[in-house]
Amino acid sequence: MKKTISLMMIFTLCLLLAACANGNSSTNQGAASPAASNGQTEPQSSQAPVNEKLIVYTNSNSDGRGEWLIDKAKAAGFDIEIVGAGGADLTNRLIAEKNNPIADVVYGLNSMLYEILTQNDVLEPFTPEWADEVEEGLNDPDGYYHSLVKQAILLAYNPEKYTPETAPKDWSDLWNKAEYKGMYEAPTLLGQGTPRIVAAGILTRYQDPSGEYGISKEGWEQIKKFYDNGVPAVEGEDFYSKLAGGQTPIGAMVSGVLASKEKQYGVKSGIVSPEIGVPVIVEQTAIVKGTKKRETAERFINWLGSAKTQGEFAKEFNSMPANAKAAEQANEDVKKLYASIKTQTMDWAFIAQNIDNWAEKIELEVLK
Amino acid sequence: MTKIRSALSSIPVAAWLMYAFLGWFIVAFLIYPNLNVYYEIFWGGGSFSLDAVHKLISSERAMKSLYNSFILALSLVVTVNLVGIFLVLVTEYFEIKGAKILRLGYFTTLVYSGVVLVSGYKFIYGDSGFITRVLSHLFPAFNVNWFHGYGAVLFVMTFACTSNHVIFLTNAIRKLDFQTVEAAKNMGASTFYILRRVVLPVLKPTIFALTVLLFLTGLGATSAPLILGGSEFQTITPMILTFARSVTSKDLAALLALVLGVATLLLLTLMIRFEKNGNFMSVSKVKSALVKQKINNRIGNVLVHTAAYLLFVIYIIPVVLIILFSFTDARSISTAMLSPGEFTLDNYITVFSNMSAFKPYLVSICYAAVASLAVVVLTLMASRILHKFNNIWSRTLEYALLIPWMLPSTLIAIGLIVTFDTPKPILGNTVLLGTLWLLLIAYVIVHIPFTLRMVKASFFSIDGNLEDAAKNLGARSFYSFRRVLLPIILPSALAVLALNFNNILADYDLTVFLYHPLYQPLGIVIKNSTDAQALADTQALTLVYSVILMIMSAITLYGVYGRSSRSKTK
Repeated sequence: MKKTISLMMIFTLCLLLAACANGNSSTNQGAASPAASNGQTEPQSSQAPVNEKLIVYTNSNSDGRGEWLIDKAKAAGFDIEIVGAGGADLTNRLIAEKNNPIADVVYGLNSMLYEILTQNDVLEPFTPEWADEVEEGLNDPDGYYHSLVKQAILLAYNPEKYTPETAPKDWSDLWNKAEYKGMYEAPTLLGQGTPRIVAAGILTRYQDPSGEYGISKEGWEQIKKFYDNGVPAVEGEDFYSKLAGGQTPIGAMVSGVLASKEKQYGVKSGIVSPEIGVPVIVEQTAIVKGTKKRETAERFINWLGSAKTQGEFAKEFNSMPANAKAAEQANEDVKKLYASIKTQTMDWAFIAQNIDNWAEKIELEVLK
Repeated sequence: MTKIRSALSSIPVAAWLMYAFLGWFIVAFLIYPNLNVYYEIFWGGGSFSLDAVHKLISSERAMKSLYNSFILALSLVVTVNLVGIFLVLVTEYFEIKGAKILRLGYFTTLVYSGVVLVSGYKFIYGDSGFITRVLSHLFPAFNVNWFHGYGAVLFVMTFACTSNHVIFLTNAIRKLDFQTVEAAKNMGASTFYILRRVVLPVLKPTIFALTVLLFLTGLGATSAPLILGGSEFQTITPMILTFARSVTSKDLAALLALVLGVATLLLLTLMIRFEKNGNFMSVSKVKSALVKQKINNRIGNVLVHTAAYLLFVIYIIPVVLIILFSFTDARSISTAMLSPGEFTLDNYITVFSNMSAFKPYLVSICYAAVASLAVVVLTLMASRILHKFNNIWSRTLEYALLIPWMLPSTLIAIGLIVTFDTPKPILGNTVLLGTLWLLLIAYVIVHIPFTLRMVKASFFSIDGNLEDAAKNLGARSFYSFRRVLLPIILPSALAVLALNFNNILADYDLTVFLYHPLYQPLGIVIKNSTDAQALADTQALTLVYSVILMIMSAITLYGVYGRSSRSKTK
């Protein structure tokens, strides 16, 4: 017994020492890098520029997307380390690390979260070479962040339960028509991104500067009916299984995951295309303020958002690039889907300013 | 002059160094960052505001959820104590056929928890679950949606929360002096009378400690109410977690956590007072080991056997199903149907094929090992002080160490970040943010209260005469601690170590804020690949990771706890 304990002690000591050593080496790296970037050649000079290792934060690295990007970046001469986490968590983290930033580049978060980041002074303005190729109205007008991939938040239904004629025509049908009561999932898990966008997509229709948190009284009544008549979402369950199984045949789906869910459950869903359009979130990229590797970061973003990289990414992962040149290379199914829907006009700065208050009010007063 | 020198040399330098270290640790990591986060939250806008209080009181949902949390906590204290004590009596005290196998079943809650555990129960009792299908077959009018609300949550949590009983009560009952039982028997006491008057009093300190933990677990219930509560039985913690992550609602989260923390402290103060009024321990100096008792009453014997095996089945089925379903796909999981043709190794291949992913396992194991050991060492020091002294300083020490119960872990993480992102004199002007240390410190902080409760409980069940005897024989204080006290509390200390280790392995809530980007722990990797946004078969992957974690936890428990208990019985 005593032997085990002393062995464990020694083991721990080793670990602590190892941790120490690692900590030191990482701070050394930090100290060394400014010197390296000072002595570095200008990117436009004939000599090949030296790329330092970049730390890249993203929420879209799952399902092999991260590994794919690391390989492609390596081939293009970039050494990147990807740090993946949920969008809201990464946003919190970036704000928390403001005084001592670790990340150099952030990509994948949606415009709403980037607005929160700019409001907290976390980003550095930078206009990449491909900025003009992006569809109009998606990039940040102030030049802090620029667009990579479009994701539509769709209203999907089970085609065995509804035909295009009997399916709802818009979100508002769900609570205004009695036949959909209890047939759709209410996005109650407001800690997650998509439910927040769905709620925002409904609330922004009732914008009113004199109303509570910028939303008119009618807007709050409508959203209450929306939540009252729906089936609350359950943590840990895949909504698509309930759509496919028919228990809750209507609900929100993110366009990027639609194809694989359809394959998994063997049910192809119907898509509603409302008159007003559907919320389309745009995954963006930006440089983190305070990075010591700004030049490498700029070159990396120039490469990341280019028509070539985004086009290849779209082919591999069924995405819809924001870059118009890359969009031509997207898969046919994806192009067809985006041709059939309209983008809802949403004021992301206004939403970013209010979304936390909306979520809080819904949690406290709207949900039962 | 010589007087002063001898006075100086009589001051135990090592002890003072220990006090100084504890004091520094508490101020630097328990008080400073946590006060800072409260300050930022409530006074951040420049002035204190009662908005948060007003918002919460006027919200019907918040008040109802808070009420439900307290109801759940109180109910759990009753039900879990009943089931937990029964389990320990069955495995340790009574002579039950197949007790060893039963024990394995009762131990299953130690290796899995949270969403996975609740999903496991849903496989059996949910609307397409096995039991539900049997029942609806037998009674056609049976409502398949029966398993939700207060009853379902209480049912699942009652069986899920017996882990601590199984470990710590077992340790406590093994310290029972069998001579006292024999004596009572010779005087003609009945089985039940002996249980009530001889066995239970010895278990009392441990039961008190477990009760406080149960109350806290009930208040902090997250996954069971979220998944099974339905709209009629929601609790407060999911709301706290949501608010703690949002930029503007942190004040609500902090306030709610404070309410729960104060309630726990009140209960704890009550318990500490009870503890002082009467700590029963055996006065015998030559203890004899427990001999398992036969239940003489035939009907009683059959009843106890039946109940023991019924509980075994309840415990073991969810685990078996989780393992089975980890070999199927999302469709089988959502319909809870097993068909032989659907079994596949694909999920495991997916998890193990992108094995740049061995590093996260290593990172998590290192963190868990170092942190859980550090917590135990720290709380051993503190318990030693609490055991030795009873004055205002020791009481302050005890309450200071319980501070982490007053905040959800998300806010503790934020407190550490906003405090240590710039050089602070208390840490010799080093910046902790962006180093490997910050996460380690956070793991230590969060696990202090639980560890302290358990280590302290086992400290207080030690016979004080033992230490006095060692002292009289001339042993120095540290020597008697090492050679006399430590061996007695080691089983409990090691058990806490193992539990903490398993907890840290897959932690997400705390880790996500503090991990070093280049050293991703397991919890982050799991969350990323099983996130709702991910394209792969996320439900199946969740189960695969759960099975992997179960195996890792089982190995830890066997290594630390299984072996120590065996060496004891030798």
